[in-house]
Amino acid sequence: MIDRVKKVGFLFLAILLVSFLVGAQTTVFNLIWLSSVDMPVTFGVLISSIYHDFVLMTLTPAPPAPLPLLPTIISLGLFIAFGVTWIVLRWAGMEKKYAYGIAGAMALVFIVYLMPLLFFGVDMLAGARSTIGKISLIICGYLGGHFFGSRLSKV
Amino acid sequence: MKKQFLKTSLLIISCFACLGVYANHHEKEYKFETLAEGLSFPWGVAFLSNDEILVTEKTGKLRVIKNGNLLEDSVSGVPDSLFKGQGGLEGIVLHPNFENNKYLYLAFSETDPGNSKLNTLRVIRGKLEGLSLTNVETIFKASPSRRTANHYGAKMVFLKDGTLLITSGDGFSYREMAQELDNHYGKVIRVNDDGSIPEDNPFISIPGAKPEIWSYGHRNLQGIVINSDGSVVYEHEHGPRGGDELNIIEKGKNYGWPAITYGIDYSGALISPFKEKEGMEQPIKYWVPSIAPSGMTFYDGDLFPDWKGSLFISALVPGDVRRISLNGTEVIDEEILFNSLGRIRNVVSAPDGSLVLAIDSRKGKIIRVVPNK
Repeated sequence: MIDRVKKVGFLFLAILLVSFLVGAQTTVFNLIWLSSVDMPVTFGVLISSIYHDFVLMTLTPAPPAPLPLLPTIISLGLFIAFGVTWIVLRWAGMEKKYAYGIAGAMALVFIVYLMPLLFFGVDMLAGARSTIGKISLIICGYLGGHFFGSRLSKV
Repeated sequence: MKKQFLKTSLLIISCFACLGVYANHHEKEYKFETLAEGLSFPWGVAFLSNDEILVTEKTGKLRVIKNGNLLEDSVSGVPDSLFKGQGGLEGIVLHPNFENNKYLYLAFSETDPGNSKLNTLRVIRGKLEGLSLTNVETIFKASPSRRTANHYGAKMVFLKDGTLLITSGDGFSYREMAQELDNHYGKVIRVNDDGSIPEDNPFISIPGAKPEIWSYGHRNLQGIVINSDGSVVYEHEHGPRGGDELNIIEKGKNYGWPAITYGIDYSGALISPFKEKEGMEQPIKYWVPSIAPSGMTFYDGDLFPDWKGSLFISALVPGDVRRISLNGTEVIDEEILFNSLGRIRNVVSAPDGSLVLAIDSRKGKIIRVVPNK
């Protein structure tokens, strides 16, 4: 029972971690561009922006949706990806941290490539509008999955 | 004690009575007349006369309302448009000398003929002969083409010098390009009535810059009008989540998007933590939360004397029209009107001084606002 609670806790933390990383990626990419057009981007602006984006993207509902949009979408992606991985790991011999890392990455692949198909070609995640942006988001997914898998190995 | 109580009660009752009379009087200043129903997402409106009205349907047809009747046949010869996302057949304006030359102008989204996965904003002009559009020629085409079907702008107005201003949106996913001069995203465009480039455009001699650009740093501009003497150009544009703006457009100016904005992204993320910067223009008014401004007219009619000199801005959210009172070019008041009709896509001044509203719906309406006498 306690182990089950721990696993749920780790899943929740993984979602939070990926949401934070995706939010931070959005912030950083935005600020890089702002800096390139001579806007006064300082270290203070960076920190306050990352904090602002974390609070509003991850913790605050995005009207008209009743839930925070980003963690909701990431949760959906990770549930599916981790679920498939759990099934695959019954037969495949692979370290959990790498298997779930790949699952997390795949979840973000689906999110960044499927979302435009649903929204008339629009990337709702601003950081996904470039190839390097997409790659960095996929890495965020991998890191969240890797964290989850490594914690599972210790339970 | 009793007398004091009675006096106070009478005073309160009188106050409420006065408020009621005022409210009642205010409500009855105008009334609505439905001119047409069953229009498919009516968008742009232009007047051939007070009783002959052209209406673009976003789904691709140019319709005619004549003496309160919606003609069954639409205008033929209108090029195919891309009805997808926020795109379709949208802006319409008549040439200032339409009476003689019969030119009307249409702005719409169109699939890129070279790549079906891309699309762009195109503006054409043609001669309206009866219910046919002939001699169709392209006046402007935004470049580069884009993947997204959002943020076209697609509004137009003629200046007193005979040149045409066209709003071109930022395509949503290309917002940073609004700050660059080598493309048409997020720009106000200025061309001659035949599509050629005026020699006094601000960036005409800058290498690499698009010569059609009049101003830049815009998002999705869906209202552009001039005041009665043509000396001021007003424009409004959608912000993201909050940050809708009303601007005065001047030659060569940078309106800041997305480097400065009063809104945030739909995801909650900051688009920019900055709201101002030297060299970037500030709006004369902005809205947080958004009202989704969708159309605008400068009222110079006589049917509503109290409204003369005001800007009227139609809003999709929650669905009303904002009357903006001006002192010169300074906004001094905002009044919410017509908030019982749903999403209002456009508001236009009719020749007789009435206002005409386009109600946004699959079965949309055109409604005239007249005094309630």
